[in-house]
Amino acid sequence: MSSSPALDAILAPGGLQVAFQPIVEVRGQARHIHSLECLIRGPRGTNMEPPAVLFEYVRRKREETALDRACVASALKAASGLPAEVPLSLNVHAATLERDPEFVLYLTDEAAADAIAPGRLTVEIVEHAPLWSGPAFREALSALRDIGVGIALDDIGLGQSNYRMMIDCKPDYFKVDGYLVRGCRADFYRMAVLESVASLARRFGARVVAEGVEEEDDLAALVAVGVDLFQGHVLYPPLTLEALKESGILPRLDATA
Amino acid sequence: MAQRTEAASGLQGRSAMPHRLLLVDDETPILFAMANYFRAKGYVVDAAREREEAEALLTNVSYAAIIVDLRMTAVHGADGLEVVVYARERCPSARIIVLTAYGSPAAEAEARARGADAFLHKPQPLADLAQLLEALLGKHES
Repeated sequence: MSSSPALDAILAPGGLQVAFQPIVEVRGQARHIHSLECLIRGPRGTNMEPPAVLFEYVRRKREETALDRACVASALKAASGLPAEVPLSLNVHAATLERDPEFVLYLTDEAAADAIAPGRLTVEIVEHAPLWSGPAFREALSALRDIGVGIALDDIGLGQSNYRMMIDCKPDYFKVDGYLVRGCRADFYRMAVLESVASLARRFGARVVAEGVEEEDDLAALVAVGVDLFQGHVLYPPLTLEALKESGILPRLDATA
Repeated sequence: MAQRTEAASGLQGRSAMPHRLLLVDDETPILFAMANYFRAKGYVVDAAREREEAEALLTNVSYAAIIVDLRMTAVHGADGLEVVVYARERCPSARIIVLTAYGSPAAEAEARARGADAFLHKPQPLADLAQLLEALLGKHES
């Protein structure tokens, strides 16, 4: 039991809300759902409901590990209602991978309990910093790969998502922040950066996911430099499980409900 | 001075947009009583029971005023002061009122040095607190 009511509410079963945002693969005129990112909001009607407040609070309490476990449990439980073939991505703090030696086992157990194969999962590493990239962090990445979980590096090009992190993580996905994406079509410098990120990802054998895509023109510009995975309101907003079921965008959802 | 109704005193003068107020106190009954009182007066109110919760809100929300209890935990006796410092940094133009049951001239001097605009001793009638808050906000707007 934690020492604060806000944290207790966050960590209580059912405290967190889960939404899914489709990541869409674009090939020519065809667009397909590639995977779903599991997004978390705090307890409904509380100060912690907005994700920005929730994660800032947990960071200040140094309870990223406890929150990540709660997020994983909530996300996988919600996702158990989805079609078996839909890949999922989960956000995990770099601090958790460094500080929680049992996290990978916990993830494995939770996935098994919800009948979700680890091979369907990608862990998106967030809020990474040199402090969290020691031996324990690298061992956790290795353990995740051993069970078939993919690795994504969030916020490419911003903050601590530097070349050292790319080399240490060797991610399967480079997630490019909306700051670089928004307005890129008309921005020479943004396009120069995005072109270099796309080229680097190819050298790593990784794929680029462009986040925060709000305009078709920006999407087209990114396709032109070789990006083929996109996430943002121009495609789909975050959706609850119920909204996903009603949208009809996932095949065979009714058959597995 | 224009007449204001009791219910409208949380509204800004010209635009009628409500002032956003952050209340910080670890004593839940006091916090809830203050929150209900100021909401009834037309303020938009966020209530935090600990320093980290207040700081997470201050990182993401802009407030017109913050009312903070000076001593919130037995271990971290200066939690309220840390909230004052962070609030002043995040909301430079906000009015900050410190409340405490453990007041002293030294404590008041330190709170004001850290950015508090007013320093009151508990218990404080809510009507008096509201009047002070209105005066501080009105002074700021003029």
